[in-house]
Amino acid sequence: MDAVIDAHNISKVYNPDTIPVYAVNNVHLHLNRGDFAALVGPSGSGKTTLLNIIGGLDIPSDGWVEINGVNITGLPPNRLIDFRLHNIGFVFQAFNLIPVLTARENVEFIMLLQKRPKKEREARVRELLTAVGLEDKMDIRPAQLSGGQQQRVAVARALASKPQFVLADEPTANLDSQSATALLDIMEKLNREAGMTFLFSTHDRRVIDRARRVSTLVDGRVTKDEPGTTPSTTA
Amino acid sequence: MLFIIAWRNLWRNRTRSVLIASSVALGMWAGLFIMAIYFGMGDSRLRIAIDNEHSHIQIHHPRFADDFEAQYSLPFDSLNRILQQKPEVKAFSLRSLTTGMVATASGSQGIQVNGINPGAEQATRGLAAFVTEGEYLDTERRHPVLVSTKLAEKMKLKTGGKVVLTLLDTASNMTSGAFRICGLYRTTNAPMDELNVFVQKDDLDQLIGTSGRLHEAAVLLHRDDALDPVFHRLQRQWKGYRIERWQEISPETALVLSSLDTYSIIFIAIILVALSFGIINTMLMAVLERTPEIGVLMAVGMNRWRVFRMVVWETVLLAVTGAPAGLLAAWITVAWLHHTGIDLGGIMGDTLRNFGYASIIYPILPWHNVLQTMELVLLTAAIAAMFPAFKALRLKPVEAIRK
Repeated sequence: MDAVIDAHNISKVYNPDTIPVYAVNNVHLHLNRGDFAALVGPSGSGKTTLLNIIGGLDIPSDGWVEINGVNITGLPPNRLIDFRLHNIGFVFQAFNLIPVLTARENVEFIMLLQKRPKKEREARVRELLTAVGLEDKMDIRPAQLSGGQQQRVAVARALASKPQFVLADEPTANLDSQSATALLDIMEKLNREAGMTFLFSTHDRRVIDRARRVSTLVDGRVTKDEPGTTPSTTA
Repeated sequence: MLFIIAWRNLWRNRTRSVLIASSVALGMWAGLFIMAIYFGMGDSRLRIAIDNEHSHIQIHHPRFADDFEAQYSLPFDSLNRILQQKPEVKAFSLRSLTTGMVATASGSQGIQVNGINPGAEQATRGLAAFVTEGEYLDTERRHPVLVSTKLAEKMKLKTGGKVVLTLLDTASNMTSGAFRICGLYRTTNAPMDELNVFVQKDDLDQLIGTSGRLHEAAVLLHRDDALDPVFHRLQRQWKGYRIERWQEISPETALVLSSLDTYSIIFIAIILVALSFGIINTMLMAVLERTPEIGVLMAVGMNRWRVFRMVVWETVLLAVTGAPAGLLAAWITVAWLHHTGIDLGGIMGDTLRNFGYASIIYPILPWHNVLQTMELVLLTAAIAAMFPAFKALRLKPVEAIRK
């Protein structure tokens, strides 16, 4: 299979010189293109830390992460930012849209950072916002959108850069049931139809039920790595 | 897009931004207004120095200025003829000068006696306009003398009264003559008033023996910018004479004028430094409030240079938003006061006159100084942006998002 994420022996230790606390402890994770996977576990188990390390937002104390064969752990900060821009999409629990930009601008902004031509940007913004069902809310700012709609814009933003995969940190945690279901439908559709790889950190049963692969973290260690309700595409 | 984000961010906390923009506007107004007063005073001093005191150029015998002795004189006819031929020359006055003394029952006072042609003197420095009582020297009376109100008060002199002037002639002998006070004058330069009395040139020439001669030629030009070319031509023409521009005759005026730019920049800089603390504080608050947002921007791929630029843009916009309002307010204030003038006589009495300044100030705002001030505002904003921008740069996305 075509590996997108390869996390090798990842550890993250806080206070290494005094009382070491392992947020993540010697974790291996391997995701292939087209995976729809979930990292699950109780609060404080290290899901978000691991997700941040895979996304290049945090540096592991030990181990390294390869994205598409590129070891991102040793990249200098500016190259790492650039790498994230072109390869990784993020969806955050608190949506984290830029409040002064409209839905359209929030999505377009990423492509502007990538210096894509105007025509391409406009077409892709329309395509993505239509895909998440917000074609009629393009010129509305986040504050005027519901939580579910904001998270859909966040998904469109994450996909705008045509990333290798999307990391979604508790994407449904702040959503009502209906919005969460709608959001998961969209992401699942994008995964099935466009082959987009998704990795979630979640405790949400609805997400876990749809994941085709579920890795369970307890105290920073992967205790279980198994197919979800649908067969996993990875070994 | 960075510009749009910066601009919209500016108005997220409208009250705070309006307050800071207002401070910038107020500071700008105050700075420009004080600058305009400075320049107004400077311009007034320049006009007084040229139009009422020294003219653009003065010509003397090389030794006259050192010793002030009547024997060091220049030929009247040749100077008169040549100056008449200069198209740049608006008017000129050929004067006989000597030192002397005026004595009355109230005491005595050393003076400089100016022998003038009333018409030429009027054309050169508008002396008649300063006569406050009695008549100017173009009178039918015999041996008229024009004295200042200040000297008249001190020596208890009155219009129509007689006064004896004791003078030094060309051989440095004492000579005296009786003059009738035809009028009193009062210029904007009190110290000069106290020293100078004016008589007709012919009267003085007879007393000190300088007929057909002169001690000082004061030359007024049509335009200030013709000064240097005319000066250099006269220098080439009359190599043996002492030819000086107003800057050399009145170096203190030249110094004051040359330092106006510096003073005004220092003044504006002080205001802007004070303002910059307000700007820094506001922008630090903004960065602090938006830490998670900046973290997300960095997470999704906005590099540090762009984050830096976004904060700088926002700071510059914050400063620049207030600046036009301040500029407009200053322009309106200055335009109005330039028309009406600011009479400082009531507050400062004769203090300004004692330093050779008019008591009514007409503020002036030269455009190049306005542009310079705008540049300083931009520079201040850019400098003020550095601290908050570096603060934003140091953020780590993963920590910033959590805040």
